[in-house]
Amino acid sequence: MFHDRSRYQSSRGYQLAPFRFSPLDGSRYIATNDVGEYVVLPREELVEFISHALPPDREAYKSLKSRHFMFDEYSRVALELLALKYRTRAEQLASFTGLHIFVVTLRCDHSCPYCQVSRQAEGRLDFDMSQEHADQALNFMFRSPSPALKIEFQGGEPLLHFERIRYIVERAKALNQVHGRDLQFVIASNLSRLTDEVLAFCREHGVLLSTSLDGPEALHNAQRPVRGGDSHQRTIDAIRRARQTLGPDAVSALMTTTQASLERVEDIIDEYVRQGFHGIFLRNVSPYGFAVRQRASRQYGVEAWVEFYKRGLAHILRINEQGYPLQEEFTAILLQKLFSPRGSTYVDLQSPSGIGIGALVYNYDGAVYASDEGRMLAEMGDFSFRLGHLSRDSYESIMTSETLLTHLSDTMPEGAPMCGDCAFLPYCGADPVFHQATLGDAVGHKAFSAFCKKQMGVLRHLIGLLEDDSRARDILLGWR
Amino acid sequence: MTTKEPEAPPPFIFRDGAIQTVLDLRVYRLTAIQKSAYRFAERCTAVLGSPEADRLPVRFVFGPTIIEQDALETARLFFQELLDQELREQVGDETRALRALIIAQAFSRTDLIRQD
Repeated sequence: MFHDRSRYQSSRGYQLAPFRFSPLDGSRYIATNDVGEYVVLPREELVEFISHALPPDREAYKSLKSRHFMFDEYSRVALELLALKYRTRAEQLASFTGLHIFVVTLRCDHSCPYCQVSRQAEGRLDFDMSQEHADQALNFMFRSPSPALKIEFQGGEPLLHFERIRYIVERAKALNQVHGRDLQFVIASNLSRLTDEVLAFCREHGVLLSTSLDGPEALHNAQRPVRGGDSHQRTIDAIRRARQTLGPDAVSALMTTTQASLERVEDIIDEYVRQGFHGIFLRNVSPYGFAVRQRASRQYGVEAWVEFYKRGLAHILRINEQGYPLQEEFTAILLQKLFSPRGSTYVDLQSPSGIGIGALVYNYDGAVYASDEGRMLAEMGDFSFRLGHLSRDSYESIMTSETLLTHLSDTMPEGAPMCGDCAFLPYCGADPVFHQATLGDAVGHKAFSAFCKKQMGVLRHLIGLLEDDSRARDILLGWR
Repeated sequence: MTTKEPEAPPPFIFRDGAIQTVLDLRVYRLTAIQKSAYRFAERCTAVLGSPEADRLPVRFVFGPTIIEQDALETARLFFQELLDQELREQVGDETRALRALIIAQAFSRTDLIRQD
């Protein structure tokens, strides 16, 4: 039962609109609302505001009013605007599952100690995806309502099973004659098997490449062992050839932070610049697969990674000031969430979580998982995020399965203890697989959550920069 | 005629790995206390006792490696957090119905709201 809007008008000068607040630093608070607007103000002003004692001529009053933290007698359309903005941010939920990950093989030629997918040896052909499962996965994918479908080939090393990639791309394009979706293809590869045949195929079908580059040669080779010990050289050569054939922006790269990387963030970033990249994703190691068995995920704490990130971001900003455009991709995602009316579609930072509705994973063995990390967890014996099997379950039964719906309902941070009160909620997510792996349940007690500490550390630093450093702000706003 | 000075809260005393205090429920709502205790779970366990009249006994229990100075600082920060939680309760009381209205308005022209 809803009341007439006159009931909500305040007799105390202004009416508070729903908002959350959290400490930003030692003296200031950040207040955010449900549509992602934010205001930074000292605690005294926050208390004045909540007590209906903030004078209208104060700068904070104007900021809070213009960003819909309050209504006064002159706010005529604020409620409708807030509702419209809320709807805009939620709209993308209706066209769910844009990312479809095909694990065409679990075999790999590298033996990285931080491998999170529990790769298999090159000769183990029983870890390849069959054509039957590929066909079933494609039929499954085209049931998704998303107008844009991205097929990402993962491994192991997917190029070890290139014939399956070829089949899936050609078949997807043929099926798309009927479905008419916006199709995109990406191969996530170490590029060691990037032959001229593969390159010609990628050019013909507009396939993009995503690779791993962990930094300068010695660091990269130490972290990514391969027979011959020349992973870095192979990757760099392949990047150069791919750019020549596919264009300068056809290859992106990711790095993984290890204990050895922690002191070398500037070197790592400089290597990306040396190789002509204009983007770098500073990424912490995740607690799955060999990373757990070989303790790579426990070598450093989240606080150390946040310091690594801060130093890295400072270095990247300096490089931009010197005239070379380079953006940190995780920061760019957060900036989108901070400033874009639609937020961001990044799977790991959604409410509800992007599992199943942001991404689906078709594993080499026909199993369907709610996320890439979900299948990594399964290789460790925890099948919490396995939704079903392509040969046995229908699209309807998987997408309405108790497993998926329960996880989705559990992963709306608005209802989670601590998250419900947190000012950073509009820019955050839930990451149920991480919490399942580290705390034993998908929601997780956030006081103990490394995910929460990382998000808060990064967001506090980023918003502090936006507020206090005008040169950094100018650069950062160009990344959105 | 003399006026009685308001009773000052006792200073924190760290003893046997814990700090004992009493909270006035006229000042802090129970929900605010519970939320603060949850948020501080990594630093200490706040054991809430049975309320008597308006007074709630609370015992902050620390891990075995804690030093007194850190324990006292944690107790101080707990009281700061309590003030924030109280403010949040205040905002929640005032805006809860409005948030429901905004969300209802946002989805009013979708199938998400049952029409019957």
